[in-house]
Amino acid sequence: MKRTYEEINRKIKSGDAVIMTAEEVIDVVERQGIKSAAKEVDVVTTGTFGAMCSSGAFLNFGHSEPPIKMQRVWLNDVPAYTGLAAVDAYIGVTELKENGDTDYGGAQVIEELIAGKAVQLKATAYGTDCYPRRKIETYVSLKTLNQAYIYNPRNAYQNYAVATNSSDLTLFTYMGKLLPNYGNATFSSAGQLSPLLKDPQCRTIGIGTRIFLGGGKGFVAWEGTQFNTSVPTKNGVPVRSARTLAVVGDMREMSAEFVRALIFHRYGISLAIGIGIPIPILDEETMKSVAVTDRDLFAPVLDYSVQSRNRKPIKEVSYAELRSGSIELLGKKVKTSSLSSYHKARVIADKLKKWIKEGDFLLSEPVEKLPEERTFKPLEVISKEEVG
Amino acid sequence: MVKKKYLLSFTPTLVSEPITYKMVKEFDLMLNILRAEVSERGGRLLIEVEGKPSQINKGVKFVRDAGVEVKELNEYVSKDDDRCTDCGMCVSICPADAFEMDRKTWKVHFKADKCIACGLCIDACPPYAMKLRIW
Repeated sequence: MKRTYEEINRKIKSGDAVIMTAEEVIDVVERQGIKSAAKEVDVVTTGTFGAMCSSGAFLNFGHSEPPIKMQRVWLNDVPAYTGLAAVDAYIGVTELKENGDTDYGGAQVIEELIAGKAVQLKATAYGTDCYPRRKIETYVSLKTLNQAYIYNPRNAYQNYAVATNSSDLTLFTYMGKLLPNYGNATFSSAGQLSPLLKDPQCRTIGIGTRIFLGGGKGFVAWEGTQFNTSVPTKNGVPVRSARTLAVVGDMREMSAEFVRALIFHRYGISLAIGIGIPIPILDEETMKSVAVTDRDLFAPVLDYSVQSRNRKPIKEVSYAELRSGSIELLGKKVKTSSLSSYHKARVIADKLKKWIKEGDFLLSEPVEKLPEERTFKPLEVISKEEVG
Repeated sequence: MVKKKYLLSFTPTLVSEPITYKMVKEFDLMLNILRAEVSERGGRLLIEVEGKPSQINKGVKFVRDAGVEVKELNEYVSKDDDRCTDCGMCVSICPADAFEMDRKTWKVHFKADKCIACGLCIDACPPYAMKLRIW
């Protein structure tokens, strides 16, 4: 059985394509086997909705009268990066408000813009012959901005660690609140619904892949930062955090339902954003990958009280165990919490399925494949000569 | 037998009186202290009381007559369902199992009757959907 992108798109346009979510297809494969399922199903949709710190937005404010070459920019008092042309800026989600307030940052600015709210813009400049203005204070919204697009350098991690805490103090981490003495364990991946876990070698997900991003359509722009293929696998799927995606999409298409600012108390600000990726069933091999269940997907449990990049996994646990509500660690029953919303992941996979079914969303063949080999290098303190 | 939760506010002069002890002893009530605090403004005690409804009412009247302000609490921690993303971070944090993950819909349900108002969920909730209404 072989299928091409052209055939699938033709069927989508004529309304004959069979689309299923990654959860639904599991039942079909369990009932009738890979071969028959591959024949029947054209596209499988995935979804995830989790904290993705490496996110932000490019904004173009337009020119004021007289014009200004912005040197420093704040949106609702959150600094944005403007070391670009005169009125371009990038606001990162983890950037904090400048008055010491740790509960408001770039993520809230982005959520408010997407919700249609006005945001205060302040900018200062040194003034040039062509841009004489030195200061501006005004308000902007998605209506007034020229461009406003999310560009996230690292999203949709292919698998991620499970966090726990062996110390006798509560820890506040980007994996949430970790109770003392293995009081709980938190995990992040959507498991059997997660996009990159369902296409483990990135055979169909590549540069140019059209995706669901924050409630609108977006694209895979590049390999995500920290993209890593050198990881152990089980059932053909990485059992460590591995591949990642850089994604891009217009904020005007997005909805606050799928873009949510998060506060990790005593850690910082992050953004939850919904991502859904359609996987074309090109052959039986792709069907085999999308049908992998939470029972066959594993993640390493790491002790976050070890303040080192070299944490050794305590053990590997399956997503089925994680989802059951507790795992066993060193003979103790430890309650689990997901940091990403499986409910929303499901809503996203469903929504994407509906878009494709109604012919509003066609599949795109990657214009370039993502790297087949990449290692994730550490940062060492070394001399100029040692860099080599 | 029923269970009710009350917030008792003591003025500084009442803090040293064994009022709750008398309430337990004279009206045959089971009492579970959920939170307690003493400051220069007086004391505050959050209790769960179990007993016959008539006895609870008498007990509450006794405490009131002693000069303690009594407020019955039905909901002291609230969940903003619009803000909640149903991630489930709260589920493993809550010592009273007041959060339930529905494994069919994967939505999180907050059972206010199980809540002991410890407040552990408040700063644990990433989309800041939980609010503590007392203290």
